Amino acid sequence: MPLVAAMLVPGSPLPMLRPDNPPWQPLVQGFAQARERLAASQPEVLLLYSTQWIAVLDQLWQTRAHLQGLHVDENWYEFGDLPFDLRVDTALAEACVEGTRALGVNAKGVDYDGFPLDTGTIVACRMLDPEGRLPIVLAANNLYHDWAQTKRLGAMAAEQAERAGKRYAVIGIGGLSGTVFRHEISIEDDHFATPADDALNQQLFAALARGNESGLEAECAAYAGAARADMGLKHLAFVLGAMGNRGFGTEVLGYGPVWGSGAAVIDFTGAGLAQGI
Amino acid sequence: MSTQGQILAGFLAPHPPHLVYGENPPQNEPRSRGGWENLRWAYERARRSLERLKPDVLLVHSPHWMTQVGHHFLGVRHLAGKSVDPIFPNLFRYNFELEVDVELAEACCAEAREVGLVGKMMRNPNFRVDYGTITTLHMIRPQWDIPVVGISANNSPYYLSTEEGLEEMDRLGKATRRAIEKLGRRAVLLASNTLCHWHFHEEPEIPEDMSREHPQNYEGYLWDMRIIELLRQGKTREVFELLPTFIQEAFAEVKSGAFTWMFSAMGYPELPGELHGYGTVIGTGNAVMEWDLTARA
Repeated sequence: MPLVAAMLVPGSPLPMLRPDNPPWQPLVQGFAQARERLAASQPEVLLLYSTQWIAVLDQLWQTRAHLQGLHVDENWYEFGDLPFDLRVDTALAEACVEGTRALGVNAKGVDYDGFPLDTGTIVACRMLDPEGRLPIVLAANNLYHDWAQTKRLGAMAAEQAERAGKRYAVIGIGGLSGTVFRHEISIEDDHFATPADDALNQQLFAALARGNESGLEAECAAYAGAARADMGLKHLAFVLGAMGNRGFGTEVLGYGPVWGSGAAVIDFTGAGLAQGI
Repeated sequence: MSTQGQILAGFLAPHPPHLVYGENPPQNEPRSRGGWENLRWAYERARRSLERLKPDVLLVHSPHWMTQVGHHFLGVRHLAGKSVDPIFPNLFRYNFELEVDVELAEACCAEAREVGLVGKMMRNPNFRVDYGTITTLHMIRPQWDIPVVGISANNSPYYLSTEEGLEEMDRLGKATRRAIEKLGRRAVLLASNTLCHWHFHEEPEIPEDMSREHPQNYEGYLWDMRIIELLRQGKTREVFELLPTFIQEAFAEVKSGAFTWMFSAMGYPELPGELHGYGTVIGTGNAVMEWDLTARA
C-alpha cells in the first residue's frame, strides 16, 4: 500500500497559540493548506519524527495506545497550554521497534502513563489532524543518530507501513534556520534573525523543489551547517528515507520566522506519491 | 526578615534518576532492588548536613529545564504533578509536590535583570517540573518541607560558547547572592550536575545490576578524580581555570552552568569541599560534595 503524503512542518507552538500574530500567519495558513491536502490523500496512519523528542540511549517509539493529557512547553509556557488526545497505531509502532532492531540499532517501545510528549508532536497533530482521527506512529530523535542513520529509520518505518498494508503519510517535525533571538521581542515584529538565514532557507527550498537529485543531500548538509539548522535537519532525513527512490518536487505552503528562526510547511508532491482513493 | 541573608552552603548534587529508583520512595512508581548505594549513602550524609544547617530555602539550578530566552525561575507557589523522565521512563515516574519561595525567586529574577541578563518568571500553574530539579531535591531533602527556588539552565554555553555561557552563569550567581542577602534568607544552593558525562548507550536488562556499573571512559574517570581532588583541597581557582578543558575532554555536564552559578554565588571560596561520595551511573561520573560556608566563619 502506498505512501500518500509527505510533509515537513515546524514544531514551535507559537503560531498555533497566537495564530493572529501577523508574522506567524503564513505558517498558520500553510498548516491549513497542509491539513486539507493531508485529508484529501486519505492516509490511514501518520508516521511522525519530531526533533523535539530527544532520546540518547535507544531508538524510542511510542507504543502507548492512547495518549491524553496537558503539556506545557518549558520555554513558551506563558502562551498557553497544549492539551492532547492522540491514538497510536501500536501494532505498527511495535513493528518499527522490531524493524529498528533488525537494523542493528537498540530500540524500545515507550508505554507509560504521563510520559512527556514533545511539543512538536502535539503541535503537528493538532494543526494537521485537529480532531485526532488518524492514528500515529511516533519516532524519537536519538541525539547520537546521524543523517544516514535517521534516513534508514525513515525507510524502515515506511517499509513496515507498507507491510502492514496501510496508506500512510510521513511527517518530519522541526525547524529550519536555527538562530533565535535570545531576548524578549514584540511578537508582532518577529522577523528572521539575519537576512542570511532567510537566503539560506530559500536556497534549501530551491534544492528541495528540484527533487531527488544526487546533490540534494550535500546541499542539505551544507545548509545545516551554515544555517544552524534544527538538529541538522534530521526530520528531513527521516522523510527522505521514507520517500526512498521516489521522484518528488516540493511546494512551500507557508514560510516565516518564529522568534528569529526559520520555519516552513513544505509539501512533497509528484508522481512518487499515490493519489487519493 | 530584617537581618541580611546568607548562603549557608553549596552542594554539588547530581540528578541521575537511578538514585531515586534505587531508593524506592513512595512517590516513585517503579520498584527496584536497590543499586547505586555509594551515591545514595553519599546523599544520606548530605541530608544530615542539611538538617544541621536548617536553611529557609533550597535553590536548585537544573540542566533539564533548558531555556532559550533567558534564565527562568519557578514562580508558582505550589506545584504538583507527575514527572516522567523522557530518557529513563522505566526508572522515574515521580509524583511531586513542592512549595516555591516565590518572593525570593522574583528577587533573583529582578537581580538577574539588573546585571543585564534576561530573567523570566514561570507563572503557569500546569508547568511540569523537570526531573533534574526533582531528583536533586528528593535526594537532598526527601521530606519536601523546605521551600525551593527552581532555576532553568539557559542554553548559552551550548548556543554561544562555553566561556560566554559560563560568564552568564557567573553573573546569575552574583545576582542570586544579592537577592538572598536582600531578602534575609538562609539559603542552601544545589548545583544539579554530573561531572564526566560520557555514558553507555545500552541499559542492562536489570538496571540496578551493579556488576555492570563502572566508568564509561577511563580518561573521563581520571578527569573526575583530578577535579575532585582539587575541590577537596579547596583549589577553586585552579578548578575554574581547568573547567573549559574539563568540559571539553570529559563531556562534563557542568557545562550547563549550575556549578559555575553556585560557586559564583558563594564567591568562589578557596574552601576544601567535603566529598560525601562518588559513583557512576550508566557510566557517568557523579560526586556529592558540600561546601559549608558556616564552618568558614
